[in-house]
Amino acid sequence: MEHLFSATQTALGLLVSGNAELWAIIGISFRVSTTAILIAVLPAVLTAFVLSYARFTGRRLLISLFNTLLSIPAVVIGLSCYVLLSRQGPLGDLHLLFTQTAMVIGQVALCFPMLVAMGHSTFQAADKRAWETARTLGASPLYALLTVMHEVRFGLIAALLAGFGRIIAEVGASMMLGGNILHYTRNIPTAIALETSKGEFAQGIALGMVLLVMAFVLNSSLHYFQGKGQIVG
Amino acid sequence: MQPLSLHDIHKTFGARRVLQGATLELNTGTCCLLTGANGAGKSTLLRICAGLEKPEAGYVDLGAGRIRWKRARRDLQRQSVYLHQQPYMFDSSVRQNLAYALHRHTDKATHQTRIDMALDWAGLTPIAHTWAKQLSGGERQRVALARAWLRSPNIMLLDEPTNNLDEEAKQRTLALLMSLKAQGIGLLIASHENNYFHRLADETLELANGQLTPRTATPHSIGNIVKLTSIRQATL
Ligand SMILES: Nc1ncnc2c1ncn2[C@@H]1O[C@H](COP(=O)(O)OP(=O)(O)OP(=O)(O)O)[C@@H](O)[C@H]1O
Ligand SMILES: [Mg+2]
Repeated sequence: MEHLFSATQTALGLLVSGNAELWAIIGISFRVSTTAILIAVLPAVLTAFVLSYARFTGRRLLISLFNTLLSIPAVVIGLSCYVLLSRQGPLGDLHLLFTQTAMVIGQVALCFPMLVAMGHSTFQAADKRAWETARTLGASPLYALLTVMHEVRFGLIAALLAGFGRIIAEVGASMMLGGNILHYTRNIPTAIALETSKGEFAQGIALGMVLLVMAFVLNSSLHYFQGKGQIVG
Repeated sequence: MQPLSLHDIHKTFGARRVLQGATLELNTGTCCLLTGANGAGKSTLLRICAGLEKPEAGYVDLGAGRIRWKRARRDLQRQSVYLHQQPYMFDSSVRQNLAYALHRHTDKATHQTRIDMALDWAGLTPIAHTWAKQLSGGERQRVALARAWLRSPNIMLLDEPTNNLDEEAKQRTLALLMSLKAQGIGLLIASHENNYFHRLADETLELANGQLTPRTATPHSIGNIVKLTSIRQATL
């Protein structure tokens, strides 16, 4: 107990004193996950939109496919990406394994289905009259899409936050694809896993606190935006 | 000029045959009233005229002869504005809702004056900065009319424009529709309340069994009373 207490004290010290190694790890986490979400968001929103507004055969199948992908554990997605990127794999020649790019690829694969599924239910819940009103007032399909996106912006932001929450704290895929290399691919979750396994709790606790604060911020914003999305009329 | 004519329109939803050979012509500056029971397909017909719904068969003629649906839809969307049975308000102020109808216009200089005119025309000036989603049903109806007017269409397709309005709001809407007609806009109105529109409508069509038939000049109200009494007698 005393050990835990002193470790927490050291952890706070590390955070407050701006420990370089610690903040580098935090930086890597944010850089990788932000890149991943930025890459995924546009195609995901378009896919979600097409799934809710277009009528074509196989639409229902695609929707359930994305919902299934959503519930696949992160390690399995990490494993699939690993197989693709490993030396013998189809993309082995790109030598991407154990790079930040590999981590970004894994995280894109993780958050894409989530963005699509949540985006789809957001568009589904959106008032179809928004699209029709935009079109009948002379909007081009693209402008009408932007209009509808604006109408459901809170739902879309909530999807974005949930997607970010899924990838920022995820260990399995990052470990497998990034390899946990210090100053390069070691991010918050993989660092926590490593430090804890070494019995060094201080850094782990410090990073855990960062995740905790972030989870709190993400969740309260999620709540806020989902609550905003409820106002209908 | 004949801005809109639909020939032999068919439309089904699943097994439900809603329109079965509806034919309709609408001239500029005239008003055609569409009546029919609930579920007769009035809204569906208006939505086809707006290019929002695709008919399975039939064709549209906008003065250049018979054209394919793809082109017809583009032309219909360009010429007409559809007003929903319950108008949709964008998540912005009344003023911004009106400005939406002008988003394609390049002449930005006249925007503000045109919006001011539309606000004034529909009596919306006092609530120009209110959030449109907070408006009452009648106010929404007026915003939708003003917004549609700003789009300067040849044809307006109005779905139950007096729905949920109180007496004063109904008269006000009627006056606005009169002025639209006087400006040369063709009006196609779907409504149960034919007695409100008898001064406005040049023609009344009844939609029943998927087809349109002209209604003769017999006073509808009397017809309704007769129907009501017969129902009463039946239930007694
Ligand atoms: N998108 C749709 N999908 C399936 N069925 C539909 C759809 N739109 C309309 N219908 C059906 O078509 C029929 C006609 O509907 P419509 O809304 O055109 O009637 P209406 O004459 O406008 O009725 P009301 O007076 O109640 O407004 C109804 O039976 C309705 O259930
Ligand atoms: Mg209707």
